[in-house]
Amino acid sequence: MSLWVDKHRPNSLQKLDYHKEQASHLKKLVNGGDFPHLLVYGPSGAGKKTRIMCLLRELYGSGVEKLRIEQNTFTTPSNKKLEISTISSNYHIEVNPSDVGNNDRVVIQELIKTVAQVNQLESASQKDFKVVILTEVDRLSKDAQHALRRTMEKYMATCRLILCCNSTSKVIPAIRSRCLGVRVAAPTIDEIAQILQNTCKKESLNLPVDLARKIAEKSNRNLRRALLMSEACRVQQYPFSPDQEVTEPDWELYLKETAGLIIQQQSPKRLLEVRARIYELLTHCIPPDVIIRGLLQELITNCDGQLKCEVVEAAAYYEHRLQLGQKAIYHLEAFIAKFMAIYKRFFEEGIADLF
Amino acid sequence: MIFLCRMDIRNFFGPTASSKKTEKTKLENGSKVKTEEKKKEDKKKHKNEQKETKKGKKIKEKEIDSSEVISIDDDSDTDLNSNKRNVKTKESKLKKSPAVNGKDKSPSSTKKKKKHSVSDDDMEDEEVVSTKKKTKGKKTQRIVDSDSEDEPSSKKTPKGKSKLKAKREIEDSDDESKPRQNTLDSFVKSPSPNKKPKQELKKTPGSEKKKEVSVSDFFGSGSVKRTERSTVATKRKLDDIDVTDDVEIHDDDDFQDTLKQLDEQQSKKAKIDTSPEKSIKKSSETHEEESKSQVSEKPSLASKLSAKVSKQLLEDTPVKDNVNKLETFVPDTPVVKSPKKSSPQKFTKTPEKSSPRKSTPKKTSPSASKMEVTPKSTPKHESSKTSPGKTHTSPETPALERKASYRSYLQREGPRALGSKEIPEGADNCLEGLTFVITGVLESLERDEAKHLIEKYGGKVTTSLSKKTSYLVAGRDCGESKLQKARSFGTKQLDEDGLLNLIKTLPGKKSKYQIQAEESFKKEQKEALAKKKSVEIPSETDRTSNKLSQFERKPSTPSSSKSHVTNKTDQSEESLLWVDKYKPTTMKQIIGQQGDKSNAKKLLSWIQNWHKNQAAGIKPQGKFFGKDDGAGFKAALLSGPPGIGKTTTATIVCKEAGFSFVELNASSTRSKKSLKEVVAESLNNTTMVDFVVGSTAKTNGHKHCMIMDEVDGMAGNEDRGGLQELVQLIKSTKIPIVCMCNDRNHPKMRTLSNYCYDLRFQRPRVEQIKGAVMSIAYKEGLNIPAPAVNEIILAANQDIRQVIHNLSLWTASEKSMTYEQAKKDSSNAKKDFKLGPFDACRKVFIGGEETAGMTINDKSDLFFNDYMLAPLFVQENYIHVVPFSARGDVKKHLSQLARSADSIAEGDLVAKKIGSNQAWSLLPTQAIYASVLPGEYMRGSLPQMVAFPSWLGKNSSTGKTDRILQELRTHMRLQISGDKKSLNMDYLPYMRRSLTDPLVHRENEGVPEVIKIMDDYDIIKEDFDNIMEVTKYPNSKDVFGSLSSKTKAAFTRAYNKEVHMTPYATGVASKKKKGKGAAVDEEEIYMEGEGGGEGAPAGDSEDDEEDNVELDTMIKVS
Repeated sequence: MSLWVDKHRPNSLQKLDYHKEQASHLKKLVNGGDFPHLLVYGPSGAGKKTRIMCLLRELYGSGVEKLRIEQNTFTTPSNKKLEISTISSNYHIEVNPSDVGNNDRVVIQELIKTVAQVNQLESASQKDFKVVILTEVDRLSKDAQHALRRTMEKYMATCRLILCCNSTSKVIPAIRSRCLGVRVAAPTIDEIAQILQNTCKKESLNLPVDLARKIAEKSNRNLRRALLMSEACRVQQYPFSPDQEVTEPDWELYLKETAGLIIQQQSPKRLLEVRARIYELLTHCIPPDVIIRGLLQELITNCDGQLKCEVVEAAAYYEHRLQLGQKAIYHLEAFIAKFMAIYKRFFEEGIADLF
Repeated sequence: MIFLCRMDIRNFFGPTASSKKTEKTKLENGSKVKTEEKKKEDKKKHKNEQKETKKGKKIKEKEIDSSEVISIDDDSDTDLNSNKRNVKTKESKLKKSPAVNGKDKSPSSTKKKKKHSVSDDDMEDEEVVSTKKKTKGKKTQRIVDSDSEDEPSSKKTPKGKSKLKAKREIEDSDDESKPRQNTLDSFVKSPSPNKKPKQELKKTPGSEKKKEVSVSDFFGSGSVKRTERSTVATKRKLDDIDVTDDVEIHDDDDFQDTLKQLDEQQSKKAKIDTSPEKSIKKSSETHEEESKSQVSEKPSLASKLSAKVSKQLLEDTPVKDNVNKLETFVPDTPVVKSPKKSSPQKFTKTPEKSSPRKSTPKKTSPSASKMEVTPKSTPKHESSKTSPGKTHTSPETPALERKASYRSYLQREGPRALGSKEIPEGADNCLEGLTFVITGVLESLERDEAKHLIEKYGGKVTTSLSKKTSYLVAGRDCGESKLQKARSFGTKQLDEDGLLNLIKTLPGKKSKYQIQAEESFKKEQKEALAKKKSVEIPSETDRTSNKLSQFERKPSTPSSSKSHVTNKTDQSEESLLWVDKYKPTTMKQIIGQQGDKSNAKKLLSWIQNWHKNQAAGIKPQGKFFGKDDGAGFKAALLSGPPGIGKTTTATIVCKEAGFSFVELNASSTRSKKSLKEVVAESLNNTTMVDFVVGSTAKTNGHKHCMIMDEVDGMAGNEDRGGLQELVQLIKSTKIPIVCMCNDRNHPKMRTLSNYCYDLRFQRPRVEQIKGAVMSIAYKEGLNIPAPAVNEIILAANQDIRQVIHNLSLWTASEKSMTYEQAKKDSSNAKKDFKLGPFDACRKVFIGGEETAGMTINDKSDLFFNDYMLAPLFVQENYIHVVPFSARGDVKKHLSQLARSADSIAEGDLVAKKIGSNQAWSLLPTQAIYASVLPGEYMRGSLPQMVAFPSWLGKNSSTGKTDRILQELRTHMRLQISGDKKSLNMDYLPYMRRSLTDPLVHRENEGVPEVIKIMDDYDIIKEDFDNIMEVTKYPNSKDVFGSLSSKTKAAFTRAYNKEVHMTPYATGVASKKKKGKGAAVDEEEIYMEGEGGGEGAPAGDSEDDEEDNVELDTMIKVS
């Protein structure tokens, strides 16, 4: 009894619900014989992985769905042992090299070499290449990306790479140019609402359109989250009512409360409290860019006009810093302190203007 | 007054000599004075005035106070009486004037009294030098007359008798004075026995008198003479007033030491000279020079006085005619000197005073005396001072020193020269032995400055008054209680000017430490010489001593072999560090280890009784049972901070105990193996020294021991297993083992210390080190004031080795060092002391004096204290700071916070660059951003303790969560499509709900459903718990926790009953994951690059292990 997200995942290109044109392109690509390296990118919850799996099924048939988890051990030049788990079928191997942090270069070099150096035994019935899926490529170190560049060309004969990432901005151009970019955009609200309704129909449920749209909007166009939300709604209350409360994850509520605290009072003491809450979020592995965005969205609703610009500018400034720096709390705190200073000043000036 | 005088005199004479003798000496002095009067050019003027006015003054005094009148009468009637009194008073106030000056002194004392009682201004001026000098001249003249007058006074008191005798003597002295001039050299070389005793007697009684004359005595005598002097004083300049005050102050305690020395010198001189003639000669010579200078300075005065002087000279002695004016002054001066000398004797209560000694005149160095002379500016003072010094001093070099010291002593008393300007520089150590209490607000000095000033000149500043307090420096708004206390104790009160004047006028002294050093050095030399003569043929012992002598020794022990000296000159001096050169060679020389209960003594007795105790089979006792003699312990552990003599103690104790020793220190490899091979064998060895050395060596064959130095340095691969082996060795050793370490409480030492006799070394006190350092300085010919040495010692934190090294370094270019220099260098040295991260962080933010003077470099140095931790500390604590700049304005405060936070964030960027590009040259940039700027923005008060950075802990738990997520994702990977992030943010909140809701709503019936979900997603029970933990927020309700225990138990039982197939390995395999921290973080928080694939399946023991691992990695991160 898996969750709906996993239970109703489409498993072939034909069954995909949106970006159908792209799906047909991919199918042609497979059938055309010459299969390039792919760079699949798009926001979280847009269906990248699903699409990749559909593609593999198109390539190799249902054999790719027999998955197994393997442990691989690599040794760094400094004699350090690295272990990384991979998911593989007979035809492909999926790995997330960033799991090993800064030593991802070793993983990439060794793993791809071992995979690529073995030819497929039966070239008649199968493609003569295997596929290596690298996820979260945007979090690969520069070293690893450079290592990847050469490997991609050298083992072109026996293996294809499918790189999967959220954003291409952190993928070096050398790799981008060697791949066929496939952008999987997030589904629109309408598409999500439609999918939700279809899913409910499969579950023999009746989901009101309004609720479907409401969930879709709440999900930030993240289909995975939308599906999970709708299932949560189902658990919470059935039959659905259009004005039903859509439960949000705890961390999101927590973040919103934090933003509320900031608006409520601007003082050093409050800053300390907020810091503690931010730490709480960070220790739960909520990405800091999510935090800063969430904060901004809440804070901005209490601002107007000139102040809004100022706050957004500050948020952008510190979000950029966030990406450049290494200790997220510094930048989050700097943003909050900045906001407090701006807000307090604006507020007092506003009062002064009144009199 | 008379009674007082009588008492004093009796007392003085009692112990030493007859009163008659003293009187005689006085008389002689008087005669000298007569002859010497010519010298004082300035004085002459005053003298003339005084002569004219003396009688008148006396009359005035009588009118004022009855007691004064009496004394005045005595003075006028008999020079002798006046002399005696004068001497007493002089001693107290002025070192300058001897018996002859007595008249002068008496006026001075009277002046003082006047100051106290009547009007200070006029009196003060007159009091000091000028009046005395003038009176001296008068006295000499009067003496002849006085005889007749004295009779009544003599009848009244024993003093009168003495006076009579004195008169006779005076006549003699006059006669003598003539011959003196004729053959000065002859006298010096071969003093007549008759004269010698007289002088000695004179001096000694004088000294006694002075001793007895406490403050009260001084006052008493002073009052009588005042009136006269006051009149004289009025004529003189105002400057004198200050001088007089100073003089009084000096009398109390300050000069006791110097006085003693002077006494000793005097006695020596007396013996040597035997006759005043010699002294006169010397004085005349010196006086000539001085007088010349004086003349040049103030020719007008000289010319004026010259007439008077010449008259006096004619009357008194023919010698004067021969000599120039300067020469004439000279004779006066010697007279003055003798009383002065006597005065110091009076002050000192020690028996030394009574008996003449040959001790070297160490107290006043010639340089100091010169210094003093210059500041005093008045030629009169100089002449008077110098002259006495010369008379006293023997022709030898030490005599010169004495003279100098005497001069300086005189200077303090002397009135200011006309038109001369005061010089703020005081003589070295001029305040030594004085204790000050500062109260209220001084006019131009801050309290710190005043304190520094006093300490610079050797004075001591305390916070509360006691009987020992010499002066109360009272400023504006001073504490009433202190004033009252001062009154009750009779403590003298000064204002700021008084203090400055004190410094200006007090003569310099050698610090007692320096004196000690010199004495010991001289003794050594003498002994060495004696030895040299005695020992012509070098014996074996000599050879050995020569070897030993290379390490030269400390001042405290006078015993040093001649070889010592010779070696110094020969070889060791150039090549050895001072630390080695002055290394102690006997136990007595070890600083801070002389006591009976000292560690060195304990160690010595322990090592001497070692074999006995072992043979007796005594078991080691605890420290708190029985006597702490370490009997039964097979080894000793000396512990203490570096540089306080642990190693030295051990080696010397071994030598003293007659043990030969093998020393192993950090320079040797001390692994288990080498210890076993090298040391273990040697423990049963006997020494060959016995056979080689032969008869002289008395060491038994088995008397050797092992010294294991720096045992806490036995670490690392080189010395692996060394400590354990050492413990084994100690258990089985047949010889004593002495171990040494710095930190006894270090965990590494724990085992060892159980088997060792525990001897803990403390840092020696500053005074203990000071003596040694001063002696080294003396031997090296350095000129360093004692206060400077103090600073150096404190700066080195009482590390003797450091002190000596610093001294050597700082005096490498120049042989002398001022207090300021020392202070500056010391503060530089202090900088090297390590600041803890908490203190450093506090210093970053704290405002006020502590950080006011810090430069930007100082501030960034705070960062470099620990450049890894410092930014974390700053970030943790900057919010707590209440910035001064905000002044309570929240808006301003917030904007400062924002600026600080911005700067800190900027610093983080730099840190990232440094980390990723190894751009360590950016570190100073980071220092500015991460520490200096926030500190500047926020500078203010820190109302709470500096908090330890929470980032470290948070980062650690972030890592843990990340690892859990990684594991979960690995487990669920076959079913879900998302990565770790989406798993965390999207799946888990709903997963949590779907896993708990069935249990909450349906309790036991929901269990199968939950287990089904878990199986579908391939998660095990641990994952279930992890999910609960990861998704728990402070605002979320703890659903699972609220379940009934029955349901939980049912769930656990049901889960364990079935076998759950997972696509991943569980259990054993997980252990392999050790050492891999999951380091995938979106912000790339982790710099260590130690992330490991978390693909391994979860095992039961995984969490604990990974926690540890995580902690380790975190440490590296920070």
